[in-house]
Amino acid sequence: MLVLLFWVASSYGQVTGDSGAVDTEKPTPVKAKPVKNTFESIWIIDNATVMVPVKGTFEMDIMHRFGTLETGYEDFYGFFAPSNIRLGFDYVPVSNLMVGLSIAKANMTWEGFAKYSIFKQTKGKSPVSVTYFGSMGVDTRTADNFYHNSDRYTFFNQILIARKINDKLSIQVAPSVSHINVVNGYFKTSGSVADSTYQTTVEGEMKHNHFALAISARYKLRPSMAFLMSYDQPLTKHPTNNPNPNFSLGIEFNTSSHAFQLFVTNYYYIIPQRNNMFNTNNFATIKSFNDITLYPQNWLIGFNITRLWNW
Amino acid sequence: MKRKFFIAFNVIAVVILASGFNYGFQQDPKPWPEPDKNAKTANPIKSDAESLKTGKEIWTKHCQSCHGKMGKGDGSKAAQLKTVLSDFSSSEVQNQTDGALFYKSSEGRDDMPSFKKKIPDADELWSVVNYMRTFKK
Repeated sequence: MLVLLFWVASSYGQVTGDSGAVDTEKPTPVKAKPVKNTFESIWIIDNATVMVPVKGTFEMDIMHRFGTLETGYEDFYGFFAPSNIRLGFDYVPVSNLMVGLSIAKANMTWEGFAKYSIFKQTKGKSPVSVTYFGSMGVDTRTADNFYHNSDRYTFFNQILIARKINDKLSIQVAPSVSHINVVNGYFKTSGSVADSTYQTTVEGEMKHNHFALAISARYKLRPSMAFLMSYDQPLTKHPTNNPNPNFSLGIEFNTSSHAFQLFVTNYYYIIPQRNNMFNTNNFATIKSFNDITLYPQNWLIGFNITRLWNW
Repeated sequence: MKRKFFIAFNVIAVVILASGFNYGFQQDPKPWPEPDKNAKTANPIKSDAESLKTGKEIWTKHCQSCHGKMGKGDGSKAAQLKTVLSDFSSSEVQNQTDGALFYKSSEGRDDMPSFKKKIPDADELWSVVNYMRTFKK
């Protein structure tokens, strides 16, 4: 009996040799796996995505924003206007954690950032993927631009919540808080000299913390081509200089190692905390559904290129 | 002196031209035997609609640019490679075991990159093998 059992066990999985087929019953995996490719780049235009590449991935990012379309042919629709460029390097040292370092032309800002995938959309477990994204920017212009060294620092924290609705459509909602260590101030006077209640105080033109909400979507047109959309809504009301919302439309091409995104956007700074707090480009005035005035002169063309290597 | 220079110049020119021709032609693929253990490894993923969908997605993104849409070896990058790519619809490829195709996809060799780090989930690579079976004539 034991010999018979051993023979049955050892013959299970034996190769028959005809046309490469293997004579074993193929079990269906029962363990649900996280949904793949909610997004195929770590960026969706100006926002990070929930995607954290596989462990050992090294990635180089080149992000470019031309000038606005405002002057038209004079600077060829922004192509020959002063542009903003960010060069970044990212690495995934352990599963689900990406760290990166970058430098952007705007204010010569070095940025260190981290992205951690908290959990991933999995059938029967989680309807969404949730990732944390945080970055710290250091303005490295000369010291005469600052009173204190700490004035150089800015911070950004964001929770990315995304769902792959179906094979074509993925949507991401991302609340964020930007913090800037120093804001411009103005003198505010109150009281009167006559009754000695007159006083002058210094108030900030803006608050140091700024909350915002980003909504992004990707719709796959072909297996390696997708339509991208992003909208960023400021939530914090500042005393002055309130930033404008951002609206972006673009297209993405993917290969095994590259993602290439070409788009129009209102955001110029690339660094998220500066984009969210200081965007002066207004894409439209919307009074009602029937009364929308677009301002194409405030839009600009940009592109993101990512190249990844797996080590 | 002039004669020596002339001869040296011609020798160098011939070497450069010869090496250029050498790189200009694609080589037929060398034999690629897989370890017996890998060849006998059974495919744990059933070739159902879900697996073929996964396989097709990965094929389109990672394989198609060289191997072509239908595995004929006629992708847009194929002409730049040093090796002539095999036709995956041929019996030469289709007669190989799933384990052999998995091994070669995972490990890579010469022009063929290794995918074990880029696609660390083995089940996905098995799905690609399932998708390769759809090329069979």
